[in-house]
Amino acid sequence: MAIAIHIETVSRRFGDVLALDRVSLDIEAGEFFTLLGSSGSGKSTLLKSIGGFDRPDSGRILFNGVDVTDHPANRRPVNTVFQDLALFPHMSVAQNVGYGLRVQRVGKAALERRVAEALALVDLAGFGERDVNLLSGGQRQRVALARALIMEPGVLLLDEPLTGLDERLREQMRDEFGRLHRRTGATFVLVTHNHDEALTLSGRMAVMHQGRIEQVGTPRQFFDAPANAFVARFVGIEALLTPNSVDPGGHVVIAGQRLPVTGPAIPGALVAIRPDRLSLTHMAEGDTPVTLTIAEIKFRGLHSDIHARFADGQEVIVPAPVDMAASLAPGDPLHLWLGQKGAILVAPHTIPVP
Amino acid sequence: MMSRASFLVTLPLLAILSIGLVPLVTILAWSFWTWDPDTYWIKPDPSLAGYTAILAAGRWTVLLSTLHKAMLAAVLCLVAAYPLAYAIHFLAGRRMKLLLMAAITIPFFTSYLIRAFSWRLVLGRTGPVNTLLVDSDLVAEPLDWLLFSDFAVMVGLVASYMPFAAFPLLLAMRRVEPSFLAAAQDLGAGFWHIVRTILVPLTRSGLFAGFLFVFVMVVGSSTEVQMLGGAGASIVSVMVNDVMRVANFPLAFAISTVVLVVLFSLVLLGNWAFRLSRLFEDAAS
Repeated sequence: MAIAIHIETVSRRFGDVLALDRVSLDIEAGEFFTLLGSSGSGKSTLLKSIGGFDRPDSGRILFNGVDVTDHPANRRPVNTVFQDLALFPHMSVAQNVGYGLRVQRVGKAALERRVAEALALVDLAGFGERDVNLLSGGQRQRVALARALIMEPGVLLLDEPLTGLDERLREQMRDEFGRLHRRTGATFVLVTHNHDEALTLSGRMAVMHQGRIEQVGTPRQFFDAPANAFVARFVGIEALLTPNSVDPGGHVVIAGQRLPVTGPAIPGALVAIRPDRLSLTHMAEGDTPVTLTIAEIKFRGLHSDIHARFADGQEVIVPAPVDMAASLAPGDPLHLWLGQKGAILVAPHTIPVP
Repeated sequence: MMSRASFLVTLPLLAILSIGLVPLVTILAWSFWTWDPDTYWIKPDPSLAGYTAILAAGRWTVLLSTLHKAMLAAVLCLVAAYPLAYAIHFLAGRRMKLLLMAAITIPFFTSYLIRAFSWRLVLGRTGPVNTLLVDSDLVAEPLDWLLFSDFAVMVGLVASYMPFAAFPLLLAMRRVEPSFLAAAQDLGAGFWHIVRTILVPLTRSGLFAGFLFVFVMVVGSSTEVQMLGGAGASIVSVMVNDVMRVANFPLAFAISTVVLVVLFSLVLLGNWAFRLSRLFEDAAS
């Protein structure tokens, strides 16, 4: 049965570093939730606190309303897929997958049946007798998943499980996670530093930075209304421009050009330009024309990136078809269209943006 | 034609063989020769006199008690060294780790003779242990069995040879990622279950190597027994020494051969059962 997780003002300090700073968060039963952040953001510490591998200095963690803060990992209805997978090297695939059930002294017949089921669930039927040390990266990943899922956990924790896999395999395992989430109905909590992973997989996600949660919401909400400049950049909105002035009527002026914006007019606010709303062609009624100067054109394989500048030197990057980019040259003017809600006012971040 | 690589390997191999094997083969061969009273040396008359002499005068009990001592000391060393190696590998920080590893080598700092002698002072009637026991009214009289006893010998042996158990264990623990223990706990296992199903199986080669090192060292030791043992306490090395003093070389060689056979069988058995070679495989593989 899926479990709802309630995290209440949890703090954790390691020496001088405050890894978690009064973090509060609610993860709903059965959702796919992602903790997104760079290394040192506290996301792994938070995951360890949920799993029971690390005890918070203060605050509480509740599973379905029950305080589990003092429960060790082996007494929580949570299972983990570790970053290095942590497959037991002296056991076969079946012995690895069946380990948790053997701890529970499940009978031989039931054990064998459930191991076979778990292996079938991750497309490894018939692999039981194999040596885990001789499996491919993707197969090892599946064994780790099966070993955790066989326990029928209320919560499955995934600690950066895709780092170290090549791009193709990562794509494949990403789909696998989505499929297993739908199949098992458990609450999945993924930790990652890869925003692509977070955006494609999660129902909701949280961006963490220096022990705090910067924003929680659906992936869409992060693009529609990023909480601040740090979050905007973390989810892939690279263009953060400083306006000359902000009109109360929902407009900003950047290097003499007037652009419509959404979002609250906070003092010192920056303008985040969504790359998906900046286009070389007129797409819809209400698009705003923007004229920039091309600074540089970079060939990226299937497309080219045009680096275009405002008169004051602030830059945006627009992807363009390679053939079209070839007809342009640095110094040329570039006529662009800014789509509706393509420019968002965001709070500046006092902490240096990576 | 011999390749360059195999030529380079040949030299060290020959060196090891001549250093290690030649004396052993000599001992083996000479144990079947006969003592010659005319020359006070041995002559190549094949004979089993050396071996039959082992059975006389209770010499075989010394052999047995030596093996027993070695077994007990090796087990005690492992019992002491295992938690130590665990703590160093899994619990200690970087600095603490180096400090503890340096501390393990302390027994090597002084001569084994001084070390054994110092236990005489510690365990003696007026030593700190007895003083403490009497002062705290735990015992009325100083304990006599603390010194010149099998107990004292065992203390001396364990104190001297524990490092030989600790280092192979540390080497073996490198194969155990901390995440293995976390994963086992995650799957519901408690501490002792993890020790039994993950830690011990993965460190078996280290356990056996440590056992073997201590066992071999104790079988070859003599100082601890001579300095700390009671009246009549003996051990193979002491016995061989005594036999050599009366120039009964075939007997001395026969005793040595028996010990060698026991040790070699132990190594082969252990390698077969515990895959000793694994100890030297890379942690990653």
